[in-house]
Amino acid sequence: MSVSVRAATTEPRNDLGHRLSALSKIVELGPGRVDPALISEAGRLLLRAGDRLKLSGEHTVVALAGGTGSGKSSLFNRISGLELSPTGVRRPTTARTHACVWGLDGAGPLLDWLQVQWRHRFARASALDRGESQLHGLILLDLPDHDSIRALTDHEADRLIQVADLIVWVLDPQKYADAATHTKYVSELAGHEAVTVFALNQADKLAPEELAECVVDLSDLLKRQGVQHPRIVPTSATTGRGVNSLKSVLAESVVQRRAAVQRLEADVNRIMVKFAKVMPAPEAMAVQPTVDLARQEGLTDALCDAVGVPAVGEAMENVYGVRSIDWVGWPLARWAARLRPDPLNSLRLGNIRDEIKTVTAASVSAQPAEVENAVQALADVLGSGMPEAWRNGVRDAARAQLGKLPEVLSKELAEIAPSLDRVPRWWWLLKIWQYLLVVLFVAGVGWAGAILAYGVFKVGQAPADLLGDVSTLPWLGLMMVSVLGLGLLSAIASRNFVVLGAGAEREQLEREMRRRISVVSKEMVIQPVEQELGRYNEFFAALAVARR
Amino acid sequence: MKSAANKTARADGQTERSGEAVMGGETHEAPEVPEAPQEQTITFQALQPGDEGPGSTAPVDVPEDAGDTAPGGEAADAASAGGSGGEGASAPAEDLPRVEAGEPSDADAETTRPAEQGRDAENAGGGAAPEEASGETVGDLFRPAHAVSSGAAPGSLFQPAQGLPSGTTPRSLFQPAQEGSSSGSPGSLFRPAQDTAVEETGGSLFEPARHDRQDTRNATGTQNAPDTGDATGSQSLQGAGNAAGPLDFGILQDVHDTWDAWDTGQTVPDADDAPATSPAADTAVHEEAPHITAEPATEAEHGPDDDLAADSVSPAELASPAAAEVQEDAIAQEDTEAREDADVGEDAEARVGAEAEPDAVASVDAEARTEPEAPAGTASRHDPAWPDPVTRADPESGADQLRRVREVPLPKPVSRALSAALAGLRDSVGGVRLGLEVPGVDEARKAQTEILAQIQDYVIPRVHMSTAPALVAVVGSTGAGKSTLVNTLAAAKVSTTGVRRPTTGTPVLVCHPDDGEWFAKGEVLGGLVRVDRPTPGSGLESLVLSSSERLPPGVALLDTPDIDSVEESHHAMAQRMLDAADLWVFVTTATRYADAPAWNLLRLAKERGARIAIVLSRVPPKSRDVIDKHFARMLQEYGLGEVERFVVNETTITAGRLPEQEISELRMWLTELSVDDQRREQAVKATLDGVLNSFRSRVPALARHMEAQVALRAELRTDVDAAYMGALAEIDDAFGDGSLLRGEVLARWQDFAGSGDLMKTLHLRRPGRQAAKSAQQAPARLHALRAALRSALEAVIVSAGQRAAEEVVLRWRQRDGAGERLADTPGLGRPSEEFARRVGRTVGAWQEHVIGLIRSGGVTKRSVAKLVGFDEEALSMVFVMGLLGYGNSDVAAVSGTGTLPERLLRGVLGAEALRSIGTKARSDLRARVSVLFDEETFRYVQVLDEVGIPDEAAAKRLYQATYNLEVAR
Repeated sequence: MSVSVRAATTEPRNDLGHRLSALSKIVELGPGRVDPALISEAGRLLLRAGDRLKLSGEHTVVALAGGTGSGKSSLFNRISGLELSPTGVRRPTTARTHACVWGLDGAGPLLDWLQVQWRHRFARASALDRGESQLHGLILLDLPDHDSIRALTDHEADRLIQVADLIVWVLDPQKYADAATHTKYVSELAGHEAVTVFALNQADKLAPEELAECVVDLSDLLKRQGVQHPRIVPTSATTGRGVNSLKSVLAESVVQRRAAVQRLEADVNRIMVKFAKVMPAPEAMAVQPTVDLARQEGLTDALCDAVGVPAVGEAMENVYGVRSIDWVGWPLARWAARLRPDPLNSLRLGNIRDEIKTVTAASVSAQPAEVENAVQALADVLGSGMPEAWRNGVRDAARAQLGKLPEVLSKELAEIAPSLDRVPRWWWLLKIWQYLLVVLFVAGVGWAGAILAYGVFKVGQAPADLLGDVSTLPWLGLMMVSVLGLGLLSAIASRNFVVLGAGAEREQLEREMRRRISVVSKEMVIQPVEQELGRYNEFFAALAVARR
Repeated sequence: MKSAANKTARADGQTERSGEAVMGGETHEAPEVPEAPQEQTITFQALQPGDEGPGSTAPVDVPEDAGDTAPGGEAADAASAGGSGGEGASAPAEDLPRVEAGEPSDADAETTRPAEQGRDAENAGGGAAPEEASGETVGDLFRPAHAVSSGAAPGSLFQPAQGLPSGTTPRSLFQPAQEGSSSGSPGSLFRPAQDTAVEETGGSLFEPARHDRQDTRNATGTQNAPDTGDATGSQSLQGAGNAAGPLDFGILQDVHDTWDAWDTGQTVPDADDAPATSPAADTAVHEEAPHITAEPATEAEHGPDDDLAADSVSPAELASPAAAEVQEDAIAQEDTEAREDADVGEDAEARVGAEAEPDAVASVDAEARTEPEAPAGTASRHDPAWPDPVTRADPESGADQLRRVREVPLPKPVSRALSAALAGLRDSVGGVRLGLEVPGVDEARKAQTEILAQIQDYVIPRVHMSTAPALVAVVGSTGAGKSTLVNTLAAAKVSTTGVRRPTTGTPVLVCHPDDGEWFAKGEVLGGLVRVDRPTPGSGLESLVLSSSERLPPGVALLDTPDIDSVEESHHAMAQRMLDAADLWVFVTTATRYADAPAWNLLRLAKERGARIAIVLSRVPPKSRDVIDKHFARMLQEYGLGEVERFVVNETTITAGRLPEQEISELRMWLTELSVDDQRREQAVKATLDGVLNSFRSRVPALARHMEAQVALRAELRTDVDAAYMGALAEIDDAFGDGSLLRGEVLARWQDFAGSGDLMKTLHLRRPGRQAAKSAQQAPARLHALRAALRSALEAVIVSAGQRAAEEVVLRWRQRDGAGERLADTPGLGRPSEEFARRVGRTVGAWQEHVIGLIRSGGVTKRSVAKLVGFDEEALSMVFVMGLLGYGNSDVAAVSGTGTLPERLLRGVLGAEALRSIGTKARSDLRARVSVLFDEETFRYVQVLDEVGIPDEAAAKRLYQATYNLEVAR
């Protein structure tokens, strides 16, 4: 028999085990996301469940609970058949829990755990009692009352009601509707029908028809309190009526050895109901554990804007174009432009021009407020549809490194960003080339002047033939024009090269900046967020398991 | 009939006697009363008029009056005479019992017979329920006595009767009168009367009137002083008096009150004739009544001996006319309207009379003249109306006497102050709005409703009508046997019993039939609908009224719902019943006496100082001693050892009742309460005092909670402000320290400056060449810069707004209770949806504004303007760059005399203009951002307001009201 019982109990135990481990997952992940009171309650339940499952599964702890004067001790004595617990007319009578054990083997640690004092423990050897073998494994507790003025300062009954495997509520016709019993315990433990029995004691005080009415009323009342199928046993500790049926109800539970597991299951159910009140159904709550590419792109875009990547590129292109004029432009044209009146000079701000040039020396940096808004936007999108606490969790995860982010971005980009005032080597070459042309042109002018002076006006003897050879003048003129033309051409060409190069460089630069930004954002934003999302999914998966 | 005739006759005859003599006679005669109640009382009445009449003041004139009235009375038809006689009879009937009660030693063998009558009379009259004592009861009493049932107006008859009897056993006589007066008389009639009276007779008239009355009262006071048990009757009058007070007649109030009293007295008949009286009217009447009694007390304190003569005069006069009126009434069978008129007339008259009276003290002659004249005149004018006026005069005297006779627990001015204070307290407690979920708010709300209900249900009715029957609430656990106990005491199944728990869902009130009216009227526990029997649908908001002859009069039992069953609504109801009760009978059982709820209740009783008796029921006889001792010891330890305790054995219950012997002690106790007015009054007063004392701590506790609410609201408000102030400061910093000049802004600036566009914003003015050209060149980059600046500004403001919103929620969450709940309001943790858009608009507008500033500011430097033209938009961008802290950023090193934009702008605009533009632009931006944030803040304020704005003055009002109450007491 015990084997089959074992077989029957292992399966539900496993199931309970799964749920309990899911619950522990919830307790682990919950803090900060769920009401701390609920978490700590779940924690207590886990502790208790662990303790109880470790202790003897062969025993069933049955607690007789009820208000003062309902006859708990009398019933206790009746069931045990001995005067173990003192009864009396003074209220409250019982101050300490009494225990009676049928089959003492292995019950010791359990009783220790229940904190029943040694002197209040009694043992029944079931062998002595014929017909009571099925009570073997019963630990019957006679609790103190929970509703007297003494109970205000002593929570023993309260504690044991929370831990007993099976609770027998001893009610009596006078007190069966007390709020002290129903509000605090019965309706709270409404899901515990399998491990709750109601004994309507002192039935001898009522006439049969009154008793029937009373039972019906009690049953209605219990249903109103949420107990779907109340088990009500009218008893009379004085006359002994009904005690045997109560015993048989107890025996049933004791033989099955399931009360402990059922009790814990009911407790898990109860706490899950509480979770259900504050948390939406877990099935609908699962989210993508990763941030999808489009969102990542979106974040990168936003961060690029915060850094001003397109603007940097454009600025580079334009500034290069303008600055290259100083280097690769045709010097003569520049000199000519300088002759034009300068409004700055007229404002006596001439030196500001140089300063303006230094403007471009500054490097790339990220704008903190825009970075923040970008991250915030991502968090908002990801968190939408989540419960508030989790949404805040996602937000906080996204912002975890927000303080450092602009700095890191700036540093990262500064490495690759071109300084706008740099001068490529070929600009020097072109500049030399231009000046060479200028020199050539000047030389040509000089030569032409010499030819004119010596060859045409015969100022004197030409130092060299070439200087006096008028015939070379057209060639010289042609050469000078071509030098001028070459200078202009090369200026234009190199300007175009500069622009082209800058364009290419800009594209490359933008790509690189973007890549780096996306790397940084992945590391500093996306990863923590994904972690949080994972935690979120795990939590709700655990919730779904535990709720089953 | 015969007696009535005697009475009138004697009245006439006695008028001539001196007041003192009469007084003496009364006291002596008192013991005799039992022997021949009717006659004697009649004689007393007669004597009294005599007292007054004695015309010791103005013998000559008085006779005239007497002549008029007296003849009238005699001549009166059988009916009228009978009526008056009936009254007289009834009055005596009452007297007897009272006398017994008050002076048990005097009681003869005969007392028994009168006793019954007396009890009836008490119930009807003294029974503390003036309203109830409406025509029926009164009529019954009287009519049987004399077999005279003049259908007309018993009430009117009574009043005269009251006036007369005052001498002997004043209290008893008066009580009926009071009751009659207070009873269902419609207020509407009275009020007009008062008003008109005021109008008609000037203030000058009133004052004297008051004096008169005082005098009379003094007289009464002296007489009354000896009597103890009066309070019941007199209090009811006090209560009534208050109503008059509110009318704001100032000094005249006293007078009015007295008038009111008359009015009420007169109205009694009305009540009979025209039963359709609105409840409002009833209450009005009630309120009016009280003051009167109060007054006498004070007066009594004044020199009592002084003006006996004068006093007596007025009553005498009044009394005699009264008889005549009565007759007339009977004959006339007036309509209510007629009475109204009459009332008015009466008022006028009465006042005139009153005037005369004071004079009487000073100069007898004048008095004499006025009095007779006045009645005569009026009488001639309107006949039907007449009687009433006269009656009024009577009532006056009656009331005066009443005042004299009754021992008045609360002197009138005090009472007025008290009711004003109570009303004030009620209003200020009712005005408290507890919207915020501060810790303990539920308790506070509960306390508020409790206090309010208690003031309404109990304190105000009780202060106004201290003579009302004592309400004994039977409270206890479910299944303790409350209903059974009540059934047994009532000797009838008035309340359901059974095995179902909780059994009693609808409170049941049982009282002696004579007290029924008072409770039916519904001042006590006014919020409950009166029903005859519990109906399934009636539930808690109704009150079952039933009556039982077995209950002693003056004591009503209230079977309450339980205090500890699953039905939590029952607890609140039981609490409310307790708050309205004068005495608590706490029922517990042998199995329950250690229950926590029971002791909570006992603690409450102790705190409130409520008078309490404890019934330990369902005690198994064999363990009775053990349990009783144990319980007694527990009570002793709890400091309740003195409380009266009754033990009821557990026995078989038949038909929902216990065997009579089980509760004989308890019944005895109740009966003693009923019979011994003094004790009952003590009990009632003790509880009332206890309740009023409890206000000392309960109301301030409420006030403190109110303060906490106000403080919390202020804190929550401060949180919002602080968060947004912080955000504003942040923005200020960001706008000054150059941190904005990063990212895109920087790049665009580099683009703008580096590409030479910056230089192009300036151009020399030359004839023919317009700025248009340069303006065309740069729009792309300029606009890019502008857009970049704009988005940077926006980003800063938006992120600051976001942080501020989060901070508000964070701060709110740290405030316990209320803050947390409010913080849960969806959407508060982030900026409003409009915010980003509004920020965009704001920044755009500001940029436009800056351009405008540059444009107008640029004009200043003429010398430059002649030479150089510039593009305002571009220049404004440069300006903004400078404003945003160009030099502070990592943009560029500062050179010498200032940053680049600064120097450039200074060159263009001049230093002075630049400074002023800078200040303006900055303050403008701050103002715009503040407006933005104000709009954001508004959301939080709205959320705060939705839960109710705690009134800051409410707490102060509460303290003030408590203080006022203390002072008034």
